[in-house]
Amino acid sequence: MITRFITEVTTRFNPFSARAKSARLFLSFLPPDARANGMSITTQLLPRTSTEPSSLHVKFKDGKEMKLNCEEMGIKSVVEEVDRHSRILQKQADLNDS
Amino acid sequence: MPPRLRCPASRGLGSAICPSTRIPFQSAAILLSTSSVPTVSLPTRQYATGAAPALSSLRLPDDYVPPTKPPTARPSDVRKSQLLRSYTSLLRSTPLMLIFQHSNLTAVEWAAIRRELNLALASVSAPGTEDIASKVQLQVIRTRMFDVALKIVEFYDPSKVAPSTITLASGVKSQTVYNHDLSKAAFEAVQAATKGDKPLPESSTYAQISPLLVGPLAILTLPAVSPAHLAAALSVLAPSPPAFPPPSKKKSPGYYDLTAQSGLQKLLLVGGRIEGKVFDIDGVKWVGGIEGGLEGLRAQLVYMLQSAGLGLTSVLEGASKSLWLTMESRRSVLEEEQNGGKQEGGEKQES
Repeated sequence: MITRFITEVTTRFNPFSARAKSARLFLSFLPPDARANGMSITTQLLPRTSTEPSSLHVKFKDGKEMKLNCEEMGIKSVVEEVDRHSRILQKQADLNDS
Repeated sequence: MPPRLRCPASRGLGSAICPSTRIPFQSAAILLSTSSVPTVSLPTRQYATGAAPALSSLRLPDDYVPPTKPPTARPSDVRKSQLLRSYTSLLRSTPLMLIFQHSNLTAVEWAAIRRELNLALASVSAPGTEDIASKVQLQVIRTRMFDVALKIVEFYDPSKVAPSTITLASGVKSQTVYNHDLSKAAFEAVQAATKGDKPLPESSTYAQISPLLVGPLAILTLPAVSPAHLAAALSVLAPSPPAFPPPSKKKSPGYYDLTAQSGLQKLLLVGGRIEGKVFDIDGVKWVGGIEGGLEGLRAQLVYMLQSAGLGLTSVLEGASKSLWLTMESRRSVLEEEQNGGKQEGGEKQES
């Protein structure tokens, strides 16, 4: 997963729900020095009885915000969605460098 | 399967035979027959060793490894069978377990977190729980293996396995119980409980805890339910200011190191298993907040029962007391009236 262009990750999930899987796995995909490199990661855990759907918000360097529906999407499609935008940013960054 | 005598392995049986002189054909045949046919009785074997003195050098070395089972290169503690056994024994022995999700912590961060945790636990002073602090462990687990271990612990009862008949090498049949956690009985019990589409009952611990077992996990295990130690661990690993404040800067400056803080940000408490029951974060905090441990809880219960008893007696007393009070007031009223001139009222009320 390309995490260079992500500036903000906000997740909310109830760990006792099976649907929280992709949100939790997304957190584990972020590199160990993500916070040190300026990414802000906020996680809010819901209580066990809550039936609120789990949510994942991702903000990119160019200001684009993504609200991903973790209830329905698996981790593969979440990563695919995020990478789709990251690759555009990567292309622009490469063009600017050269 | 007959033993393979000519094998390429250096520690094979071939190398054990090689240093000996030329073996007489007959004794070699006897050796083969003893190893392949288990029904040969003991005196025959004594005869064989007595007849050929060269056979004493045929004894296998103590560190002999059969070529069909080569020694593993894996360290024993990460071998899956060993891992599973250690997890099941951990799950059976630990009453208090907290489950954390760790997202890409580095080794230095782990070291810093463990150091701060040990410092905080060592400073806990609760009567009768002196040796708990040294036995608290924060360990990273293999999630799928842990899942299997949880199933075995819950759905498999080793005491209910029937003994099976086996034939020993000497031909004697004997009854043996194979009820260890890697046994076929354990596997079948787990399969029977979790097979099929029907969901597990809500009351089962495994059904409640299994959604938690996703992604990279670490567990904190305590050898006893000690709320004081749990509170100390929570204040380090998952601080929440009013009830579990993080340790002060003056007392433990290492906690505010960059490495320790960046490690703690990546550690996420997702739940816990206490005395076989599954708790979420609020439940874990509630257990950590019990004053005075289990003794304190018992004292609270005793106080509650006593005060309930007091309330009951006062309620029962109250009815008769209020009756007496109304009668008494009525009597005084009547007596006043009697003094005013009427004669009968006071006499009737007294009877």
